[in-house]
Amino acid sequence: MKIYVTGIGVVSAIGSNVDEHRYALEAGRTGIRFSESHNLMLGEVPQSDEALAKRFELSGDDHSRTALLGLAAASECWAGNKPDGQLRTGLISATSVGGLDRMERYYLQAKQNPSLDIHPLMIHDNGRTTETIARALGITGSYIGTVSTACSSGANAIMLGARQIESGRLDRVLVGGSDPIALFNIKGFSSLMIYDPDICKPFDDARKGLNLGEGAAFLLLENERSLSQTGNTPLCLLAGWANATDAYHQTASSPEGRGATLTMRGALAKAGISPEVVSYVNAHGTGTDNNDLSESAALKNVFGAAIPPFSSTKGFTGHTLAAAGAIEAVFCVLSILSDATLPNLNFKTAMKETGFVPETAFRKGSQIENVLSNSFGFGGNCTSLLFQKLH
Amino acid sequence: MYITAASTISHQPTFRNKGFAAGLTVLARPSALLHPDYKSFIPAMNRRRMSDVLAMAMACSVDCLEQCGVAQPDAILVGTSMGSNFFTKTFLDKIANASGPMISPTAFILSTHNTIAGQISLFLENPNYNMTHTQNSLSFEQALLDGMFCLQNGDHHVLVGAADESEDVLYNLNARLKTMDAHATCGASFFVLSAEKSAASPPVRLVDVGSFGLIGDDLSPYVLEFLQVNQLTPDQIDLVLYAGTKPATENALRRMFAGPVLLDYQVFSGVYYTNPAFALHYAVDLLTGERPPPVGNILICNNLIPENLGLLLIDTENARHGTLD
Amino acid sequence: MDALKEELKKHIIEELNLQDVTPDDIIDDAPLFGEGLGLDSIDALELIVIMENYYGIPITDASVGKEILYSIDTMAAYIVNNKPA
Repeated sequence: MKIYVTGIGVVSAIGSNVDEHRYALEAGRTGIRFSESHNLMLGEVPQSDEALAKRFELSGDDHSRTALLGLAAASECWAGNKPDGQLRTGLISATSVGGLDRMERYYLQAKQNPSLDIHPLMIHDNGRTTETIARALGITGSYIGTVSTACSSGANAIMLGARQIESGRLDRVLVGGSDPIALFNIKGFSSLMIYDPDICKPFDDARKGLNLGEGAAFLLLENERSLSQTGNTPLCLLAGWANATDAYHQTASSPEGRGATLTMRGALAKAGISPEVVSYVNAHGTGTDNNDLSESAALKNVFGAAIPPFSSTKGFTGHTLAAAGAIEAVFCVLSILSDATLPNLNFKTAMKETGFVPETAFRKGSQIENVLSNSFGFGGNCTSLLFQKLH
Repeated sequence: MYITAASTISHQPTFRNKGFAAGLTVLARPSALLHPDYKSFIPAMNRRRMSDVLAMAMACSVDCLEQCGVAQPDAILVGTSMGSNFFTKTFLDKIANASGPMISPTAFILSTHNTIAGQISLFLENPNYNMTHTQNSLSFEQALLDGMFCLQNGDHHVLVGAADESEDVLYNLNARLKTMDAHATCGASFFVLSAEKSAASPPVRLVDVGSFGLIGDDLSPYVLEFLQVNQLTPDQIDLVLYAGTKPATENALRRMFAGPVLLDYQVFSGVYYTNPAFALHYAVDLLTGERPPPVGNILICNNLIPENLGLLLIDTENARHGTLD
Repeated sequence: MDALKEELKKHIIEELNLQDVTPDDIIDDAPLFGEGLGLDSIDALELIVIMENYYGIPITDASVGKEILYSIDTMAAYIVNNKPA
């Protein structure tokens, strides 16, 4: 059974729609800047909560930025599509922050002022942010779900959508992820001593860690039956996917890249293709010492001496956690549509352990047929997706 | 597919107490979580970093795998409404109270929603499919559905569970259910779902799972269609275990199900978002107890949040649809 | 020095939540990680926080901390030699 990608939508530090992302990727323009308020490098989306809420005519103060960013990307992706009684339509989103952006604000304020109303605490519920997006788009009475597996969440939401269609339970499904910047995560990654004080440098020998970013992205997946009803033009195929666990450490990746090796091989097997025909790999590439070394080991395991062109795009967006897998999935679709590999910003010197050199320019030339996207998260959770050009 | 192991830690004497369903009484208020002695399930060096929700989930997982003699499940799936909220709050406290320049990272490391499923994988050293579903009151149903996909794709045994801590849900629950008197509790239930039946008698089948969000104010068409897809009519259901807002859910169910016994399972479990997992274990225990009631098809109807609906259908293999013989 | 070691052990037991471990169970020259007390890399970060927050001694690179955090003896020696003026 073929799973068609027929829509994409994305918001991040480098743009508020797909076109702006394409331009930024082509121009090699990062969205990561020094944040005065947090005193470190961040990939922030410039729109305020108020502006986003106004745009979607949401009233009240109980909408987390997770839902607002998610809605910005989901509505671009859903665009002219409509609810249709003949098609079983679902929505699966991913988030790690959920309503925590609001909760942390009130929680820390309540510490100073115990009489403060803790009512807003109740929005710390991942599912609720997904329901806000579904309701606004008119996707109701069907499978509305949320997955949360830390930094692999977005990729897992996409995979789960494909599994739903494959099982015959859904005809089309909007899949993606959303995460805002939360103080919680800034402090958290800093406490792990993996936050680069300068701009992140994935796969560089001098890399010092990640920069956080925020954003959201969604893809519309459809089966043949849905396509014949909607008349949508497919952009490409989601041809393979796999999830596995590193089973090594709660937060660190195994030196031999066990989980990542399993998922890249699994996604290739699911798509029924061999490693030689992979045109480009969008790596997880957070810029931490541990991830980039472990992922490189996994690339070597899967591809041997013939490593395909690869890059991490986190130098553009920062690490957007649960949204990362979805944002990078949109980048993979753009790579296929423009027949171009995407640049890995801030790379100077190859890691001495591997000598691997990532793609450093938006490079057109050869046809991009098969693109792998990697996402790895806490709990050793690893996922790879394979997108394929449609002929 | 078959349910070949079940384990629950709750406010009731459910843990390692086969046949508990027959003797269950209405939960007293207030009530407390009945913790087992975790030492026999979890080594001290692992236990030291575990919140209640992690310890419960781990003990239930170990218990389940022992019951069916499966060393490594082909997948680990967890449904949790609030995940690892204990550590989220702990780390927020550390941010608020930080005296020195450094904050200890342990609580952050253990704060993600998938800490439960991730820790089970680490503990078992299990490299397989690992997923965490967090759709408030439908989290468990969604994990179970994912588990069904795993078996359909060729897996033999998958570990599926639900776990939630109590204090986390209080605010959320009361506001969402528009009632301030919900008897908020907590618990964890884990199951092994297998492609083949085990020696247990009678084998209990998981027939189907449904998860429907934003259904509006009438659950009837969803329930009827779910039964129809499974080639059943309401009169072929022998027992309906339900959770919902009174009297709306009960009235709607009564209009559909004239014959079967309707039982509000929350009088036993108390209220938490993943309590349909408690209901599932209750049903499995009823069917496999010493004196099983004359029940073939059981429907678990989770309408805990009025606009969300979870449906679980189970039966015993030797009960033909609609007739018991 | 002995008082410092005793204090370190208490901090470690408390911050690492070492249930059922007493200061006497921790041997001064035995490795804290792996074979010895059985600590892992999450604990290593906790030890770095103890060094910083209780003794004002920063260890900015987790990887160079390995030798310093080898045992109670090595930690105590590092504290004595690097105490902020």
